[in-house]
Amino acid sequence: MAMSAHATAHTSQAKAAELPRVPTPAIGPRANPYLDADSFEGEGDLMVLNMGPQHPSTHGVLRLKLWLDGEVVIKAVPYLGYLHRGVEKLLEKLSYVQSTPIVDKNDYVASMTNELALVMAFEKLEGCEVPRRARYLRTICAEMQRVASHLLWLGTFALDMGGALGGGTTAFMYCLRERERILDLFEELTGARFHYHMMQIGGVRHDLPVGWDVHMKQVAADIRARIPEYESMLSANPIFRSRTKGIGRIDARLAMELGLSGPNLRACGVDFDLRRSQPYAAYDEIEVHSALAYEGDVYARYQVRVAEMYESLRIATALVDGVPAGPIMGRKPIETVNAVKPPAGEAYVAIDSPRGELGCWVVSDGSPRPYRCKLRPPSYHALAALPYLLPGTTIPDVVVILGSLDPIMGEADR
Amino acid sequence: MNVLFGSPALHALVLGVGIVSALLGVTSYFIWFERKFAGRMQSRIGPKHVGPYGLLQPIADAFKLLIKADITPDTADRALFNLAPLLAVCVALLSLAVLPLASGLVIADLDVGVLFFLAAGALTVVPTWMAGWGSNNKYALLGGMRAIAQSVAYGVPLVLAALVPVILSGSMKLSDIVAAQAGGHWFALWPPGPGLGAGVLFVLASLAEGNRIPFDIPEAESELVSGISTEYTGMKFGMFYLGEYVHSLVVAALFVTLFLGGYDGPGPDVLALQLLWFVLKVSLVSVLLLWVRWSYVRLRSDQLMTLCWKYLLPSGLLLVAASAVWVWWTEQGGSR
Amino acid sequence: MIGQDVAQIAHERFGLESGELGPSVPRERLLEFASALCEAGYLYLVYISAMHHPATKNGEAEVPARYTVVYRVRDLARGLEFPFRCEVPLGTGVPSVASVWAGADWQEREAYDLVGPVFEGHPDLRRIMLPEDWEGHPLHRDYAINTPHHPWR
Repeated sequence: MAMSAHATAHTSQAKAAELPRVPTPAIGPRANPYLDADSFEGEGDLMVLNMGPQHPSTHGVLRLKLWLDGEVVIKAVPYLGYLHRGVEKLLEKLSYVQSTPIVDKNDYVASMTNELALVMAFEKLEGCEVPRRARYLRTICAEMQRVASHLLWLGTFALDMGGALGGGTTAFMYCLRERERILDLFEELTGARFHYHMMQIGGVRHDLPVGWDVHMKQVAADIRARIPEYESMLSANPIFRSRTKGIGRIDARLAMELGLSGPNLRACGVDFDLRRSQPYAAYDEIEVHSALAYEGDVYARYQVRVAEMYESLRIATALVDGVPAGPIMGRKPIETVNAVKPPAGEAYVAIDSPRGELGCWVVSDGSPRPYRCKLRPPSYHALAALPYLLPGTTIPDVVVILGSLDPIMGEADR
Repeated sequence: MNVLFGSPALHALVLGVGIVSALLGVTSYFIWFERKFAGRMQSRIGPKHVGPYGLLQPIADAFKLLIKADITPDTADRALFNLAPLLAVCVALLSLAVLPLASGLVIADLDVGVLFFLAAGALTVVPTWMAGWGSNNKYALLGGMRAIAQSVAYGVPLVLAALVPVILSGSMKLSDIVAAQAGGHWFALWPPGPGLGAGVLFVLASLAEGNRIPFDIPEAESELVSGISTEYTGMKFGMFYLGEYVHSLVVAALFVTLFLGGYDGPGPDVLALQLLWFVLKVSLVSVLLLWVRWSYVRLRSDQLMTLCWKYLLPSGLLLVAASAVWVWWTEQGGSR
Repeated sequence: MIGQDVAQIAHERFGLESGELGPSVPRERLLEFASALCEAGYLYLVYISAMHHPATKNGEAEVPARYTVVYRVRDLARGLEFPFRCEVPLGTGVPSVASVWAGADWQEREAYDLVGPVFEGHPDLRRIMLPEDWEGHPLHRDYAINTPHHPWR
C-alpha cells in the first residue's frame, strides 16, 4: 500500500492504476433514515429527546432529535445551521485576496488546511505556480496541523466517553498539553495561535524563523514518545475497547455514497488518500503511508487517527530537513485588494484535511471576486452518516459515535 | 457497649454532632485534595489562588454555591425537587451511625450494624429518583431510571461481599468484626481468597452504588448533560455533590472496617493511635479510589448490568460459599 | 483526472460532449445518467452544488435566469473523477439523485436551501442551514447581503 509518488507521476493515468484496488462493496443492510416515528409499534410511547444545541458533547452546536424507546434510539434527525455564518455568500462578496482569513474560522481546529484548500483552488484558477520552498512549508504546516487536530479529537473523544470528572479529563489534559506545543510552533512561525493566515495565493506569507526546524523536530519527537502513553490509557483499557468495538459500524458502500472521507473512510477499509491519489503541495516528493482499518467501527476510526499522528509526525520531520532554498512567493507581491483577477472558468481542488476531503469549487467570471465559491466540508458529509448510524444504539453510544466522526460544526455549518 | 456521658441518647447526640461536623469538614477538604490530586495526575497544579496552596478553596466554593441563584423550574414537582438534595446528604450521613472510628468511639454500635449500613446505602436511590422524577426533565428522568437500575442491581453483590466478613467473624456488629480482625488478621489478607475477593467486589459494587466513575452513568455529563442534577443550581446542586463525596468517604471507611481491620494497627490500644490508624487506612483507600476515578472511562449502562449480573453476582455467591467452607473447616480443627 | 470511460458512455448513450467541466445533462435523463455512472463504478459522491445565473441580455437574445446544478463523483478504485451538470430555468425542478447516492440527500438539501433549485423526488427536502421559515435563498445572485430577516428565535 506504500507507494512512492514522483512529481511526474501525478498527472498520468498510469499512476492511478497503481493504486490498490478499493473493494467494490455490495449494499449492506441500512437503517431507514426516513422512518415514520409515529408508526412505531412497541410498548408505550416513544420519547423525543432533543440533544443539543446546548449539550456538552455535541461538539459545538449540533442538534440531534432522537426518538427513544427507553434508551434505544429508533430514529435520529440531525439539525444543522446553528453556526451558519453565510461563509459562501461572504466569499462571493469579498475579493480573492480577502477570502483566506474568512475560511480560517471554518474549521477552527485546523485553520492551516482550510486556507490551503481555498488558496490552491484560486491558484488553479489563476494558473499560478507555487515555488518549491513554499510547497514544502505548506506540507509541513498541514501535517503538523493534522497532529494538532487529531490530538484535540483524541482528547475530546476521551472526554465524551469518560466524563468531565474522570479518566476522560485526564486524557484530554494530556492531549491538550501536546497540542499546545504545536500551537507554540505555529505562533513562532506566523504570530498567531489559531487563525494563522499563513497561506496566500502564490505561496506562503511567512518564512521559517531561525531555529524553527530544531524546535519542530524536538516537539515531534516528544509527541511521538507520548502517543503510546495515550494508547495505554485508552485502547489498552478494556472498558474503552468494549465501548468502541463494534459500535457505529459503517460499511464501505454507504461511506462512499455519503462522501465520507479521510480517517472516517479509511477506517472502512477503503484505501483512498488524496495525498497519494492527487498529490498536492510537496506530497509528490514524499512517501505517504495512509493508515487503514477494516472494521468501520468507532475503534477502527480511533486506530486510524492515532496511526495518522505517527505518520504525520514522520512526514513533517522528514520534510523539514530538506526544505529547499528559494522564494516563498510565486507571483508578484499582492498589494491591493483586487490584485488577483483569475480568468473566467471553474476549478475544484480537494486536499486531505485532518477530517477528510476538504474541497473548494470556485467559479470565476473574470472579476476580482469569485462568482460562486463552494466549500466541501468533510464534517458535513460525516454528519450525514448519523441518521444511518444511530438507530438501534443507546444514548451513551450516540455520544461516542458522534465523537468518532470528528465533526467540527464551524465547518459543517459554514 | 461503652456509653459515654451516662445515657445512650446523650452519647449518640454528642458523638453524632461531633462526628458529622468533623466529617463535613473532612469532606470539603477531601474535595480540595481530590482537585489537587487530579491536577497533579493531569500535569496541572489544581486550585492555588485562594489561600496558601488553595487551602481556602472549599470555603470559597461553598460561598459561591450559597450566593448563586436558586432556581426551581416551573414545571418541576416542587416538594420532591426541593427535598431530594437534603435527603441525599442525610442518607449519606446515616451510614455513619454504626461506624466504629476507634474502640468505643461509635455513635450506635448496633447488633445489626452491617445490615443497617446496607439498608442506608440502598436508600441513596430514593433521593436520586426523587430528583430525577421531580425535575421534570428528560435527561434527569433518564438519569433517575439508570440510577434505580444500577442501585437495585449492585445492591446484590454489595450484600454478598459484606456477608463474607459477617460469616468469617460470626457477627453483624461492626465492632465485633473489627475485634475479630485484631492483631493483623485482616480479612483482606486472611483467609487468602474469599476475603480479598470480597474486598474487591465490595469496592466495585460500592463504586457503582455511589455513582462514581467508571460507574457514574446516572450523572454521565457527556451523555445526560448532568443526569439527575441537570436542573439543580446553587446549594441544592452542592448538596448532591456533598452527598456523593460523603458517601464515597463512608464507603471507604466501611471497607476499612470490614476488610482492613478497622482501627486495628500496631502499637498500644489508645484512642488517639486507633483513630490515627483508621484515618490513615481510610485515606489510603480513598486515594486508591481517586486514582481509579481519574484514570478510567465510563461503562455503558447495559455493560454495567452485564458486569453485575453475569460476573459480580456469581463470584459473590462463590465467595460466600468459600468463606462458609473456610469457617466450617477451621471449626473442624483446622488452623486459624 | 477525468474518467474517460464515462465520457465515452455519455457520448455514446446520451449523445453528450464532456469538456473540462463535464457534460451538461438534460434534466429528463439526469437520473438515468446518474445510474449509469453508479454502475460504472463511480460510487463516491464528492459534492452536489448549484449556482444561480440571473437573466442576461446576450445581444438581441434574452437569456432567462437559470440554475446550474453541478455534480462531481469519483471512482475511488481507479482514482477517476467525473463532473457533470444540469441546467434548469428558474421554477423547474431537478430530479433528485438521492436514490442513486444516499449522500445526495443532504447535498441537495443544502443546494436547495442556499441556492434554490427544487429537487423532485427528494425523500425529505427541507432547509438545512437556515430556519424553516426563512424567506428567499441567500446564494441567489440578486439576494442582497443586507436583506432584512426576522431575528433568530
